[in-house]
Amino acid sequence: METQSVIQIKNLTKIYRDFWGRKKVRALNSLSLDVKKGEVFGLLGPNGSGKTTTMKLLLGLLFPTEGEISVLGKPASDVSKNERIGYLPEESYLYRFLNAEETLDFYGRLFDMSAQQRKERSNQLIELVGLQNARKRQLKEYSKGMTRRIGLAQALINDPDLILLDEPTSGLDPLGSRDMKDLIVKLKNEGKTVVMCSHLLADVQDVCDRIAILYAGELKELGRVEDLLKEQHETELLTSKLSPEAVADVEAVLAKHNAKLLRHGHPTNSLEDLFLKTVQKSQERPGQRYVPTATEKT
Amino acid sequence: MNFDAKPFLLFSNFDNGLLHWLRVFGGFAGVIFAATVLISLGIYGVSGPVAVMGRVRQGLHDFLNLSPKRIWAIAWLTIIEAVRRKALLVFVVFAFLMMFAGWFLDSDLRADLQVKNAVSFALTTVSWLTIPVLLLLSCWGIPEDIRVRSLHTVVTKPVRRNEIVMGRILGFSTVAAGIVAMMGVVGYVWVLRQVPNNASLICRVPVYGTLEFLDNEGNISEKGINTGDIWEFRSYIEGGTKASAVYKFPIDTPADQIKLESRFEAFRTHKGRIGQSLLVRYVLVNPTKELRVPLDSFEIQEFNLNEQFIDRKISFYDEGNKDKRTVDLFDDIVDQNSLTIAVQCLDSGQYLGMSRPDFFIRLPDRSFAVGYFKAVFGIFLLTVFVISIGVTSSTFVKGPIATLLTFSVLLIGQGFREFMIKLITGVQKGGGPIESWYRLVTHMNDTLELPDNIGVKIMQGIDNVMLGGLWLMQHLIPDLSSFVMSPYVANGFDVPWSVAMLRSLAVTIGYLVPCLLVGYYSLTLRELEAK
Repeated sequence: METQSVIQIKNLTKIYRDFWGRKKVRALNSLSLDVKKGEVFGLLGPNGSGKTTTMKLLLGLLFPTEGEISVLGKPASDVSKNERIGYLPEESYLYRFLNAEETLDFYGRLFDMSAQQRKERSNQLIELVGLQNARKRQLKEYSKGMTRRIGLAQALINDPDLILLDEPTSGLDPLGSRDMKDLIVKLKNEGKTVVMCSHLLADVQDVCDRIAILYAGELKELGRVEDLLKEQHETELLTSKLSPEAVADVEAVLAKHNAKLLRHGHPTNSLEDLFLKTVQKSQERPGQRYVPTATEKT
Repeated sequence: MNFDAKPFLLFSNFDNGLLHWLRVFGGFAGVIFAATVLISLGIYGVSGPVAVMGRVRQGLHDFLNLSPKRIWAIAWLTIIEAVRRKALLVFVVFAFLMMFAGWFLDSDLRADLQVKNAVSFALTTVSWLTIPVLLLLSCWGIPEDIRVRSLHTVVTKPVRRNEIVMGRILGFSTVAAGIVAMMGVVGYVWVLRQVPNNASLICRVPVYGTLEFLDNEGNISEKGINTGDIWEFRSYIEGGTKASAVYKFPIDTPADQIKLESRFEAFRTHKGRIGQSLLVRYVLVNPTKELRVPLDSFEIQEFNLNEQFIDRKISFYDEGNKDKRTVDLFDDIVDQNSLTIAVQCLDSGQYLGMSRPDFFIRLPDRSFAVGYFKAVFGIFLLTVFVISIGVTSSTFVKGPIATLLTFSVLLIGQGFREFMIKLITGVQKGGGPIESWYRLVTHMNDTLELPDNIGVKIMQGIDNVMLGGLWLMQHLIPDLSSFVMSPYVANGFDVPWSVAMLRSLAVTIGYLVPCLLVGYYSLTLRELEAK
């Protein structure tokens, strides 16, 4: 049984025009793609490739020059579709004179939520994004990371079915970034659909089921992440530590099967893993410091 | 009073009220709709008008499905924004002015003039401080939201664009209400403290009538004699002749006594009696019964008010029957709920000047606070009007242009509308802008005929096009003079409902409706993200 489409884009073209109506930029050219219910979909591409334009067309902030968009079964211009959508913009363009509680209360009101619902949901989300200690501070006093967190909270205020995240990890430290990615996975597990665009490819790789790569407004690649990244002509083995003799034996075995050892050595962790481990240790043993070894001292 | 405000007949005179509004609003809406359909047909073919109709349907749907909760949410945001952006600092300026204003108001003036100055100052200060602040806030709110993209987080929620416009107008109006109310109360207390011991704050309730003149021969004429005054507000009747000014007052409820109040001006052609003012007589007239009841003559107090009382039972000497006679004011003189009084000047060679509001029946006074706070409400209504125009214009132009546009509407509506009408009707000599410029450069005053050549014809043709634009503008820009109610209160009068309150309310509501429509379509049809 085919999974239901949450977003359907057919031959979408967007041309920006100048004041006189002359063509300035073709931001999107005949883009077609489907986003299925319950998947995490990534939009990738260099600057100016049309990712954010696609996102804004989905939200009705821009009007298509040609083509059709259907979001949750409704045209992008239909305001009622927004009842089931959460949107985190690239920058958190929130009202800087409000504090966290007021911000969430305001956006809750826009969904016609009752005072009780707003209060409960605000408390829940403030806790989720870790802003309990800053809930009464005006957003103008927030760091960029905190602003992203409250931005995410406002995007989730209505418990949306479809969440559009524009550069969700930008401005976040690795811890915040990890939390964000965990949250995206959690949302996916709850059956929500997430569409994100990001420059941070590692983040996309970590959480996305499918991706689309755009270049100059055109779709260049579309598919499941593991399918697109898999090297069909190579095989990867991971063993416990081998002696040089054992490596030589492996090479001999490979030669017998007309294969050769392309690379061997010790695998490395990602910098993100190292950073997270260090922070975790520091939290467990706050007094411990880095002491240089004798070799490093010389 | 030195101005004559005509009653505003909203329902009884459709030509001046609702019908005019429907004609102008419907006309503009119809022209814009027809133009849009034609243009869309030209560009997109048949699908163009279909899309236009779709937008109209969508608009109807959006207006029928407004959410008061969302509107109030945006209004609440607007209020918080105004407060946190320190709009209320205007109170500091107000307090500062009120603290020291007393030093600069002339205490050597006549007591009633001191009161007049104090009331005018308080109300003008409230108005001059509130309106600019709200004008700036309303013109910059939405453009700033679009610039910093805060509006993106709102329009990506299930918020209709008309809810944004309504929420903004409601929010700014609530801020205005708060500011005006607080300043009004402080101003009121300040006025009470400024009243000299020998004066009091009064709030007369006048009943004005209609005025027509009888010339020296006793023939009816619309105006009296012009004694050479450029200001043609008052007309004059010649003393010692049949000339008279005939006032007809509506009068419904019988009373034991009525009070008349007048403020006439004298124009002398000779010194007259030294130490005496002009002698004036009121004659009560019943035109149906041809009954004329002359009252006792009295000397007018120039530059001041004359108070006369008429009892219900009036005894007079009947010239026809050569006998004393008593009549009942309401049974014998009031005719079809109308009391006719002819004013005569008895000094021959002297002239008595008057206008419609110079003579009225004075009903029991109201509390000064009633008139004062009506004027404060007038300031609030004007602020709401300014907010509506400001918010609407800010949906299609940026802050500075919206400010300029709103300020121009305010300026023309309050001060230059009369001049604009004079230009359109040709009463103002000197032609249109190009002709005026030509006359200035060539030193030709407005009485000189221009040469009859092709250049002049082209110039006048361009002027006619511009004047056509002005004609259109005078239908779009309202007369805002009715919102300014301080002259009534400063002169010791109540603010009349039909003349000022109803007119101001009608103008505010009349402009609010098209403003909401324009604001809605402007926000709906534009790409908020477009660079």
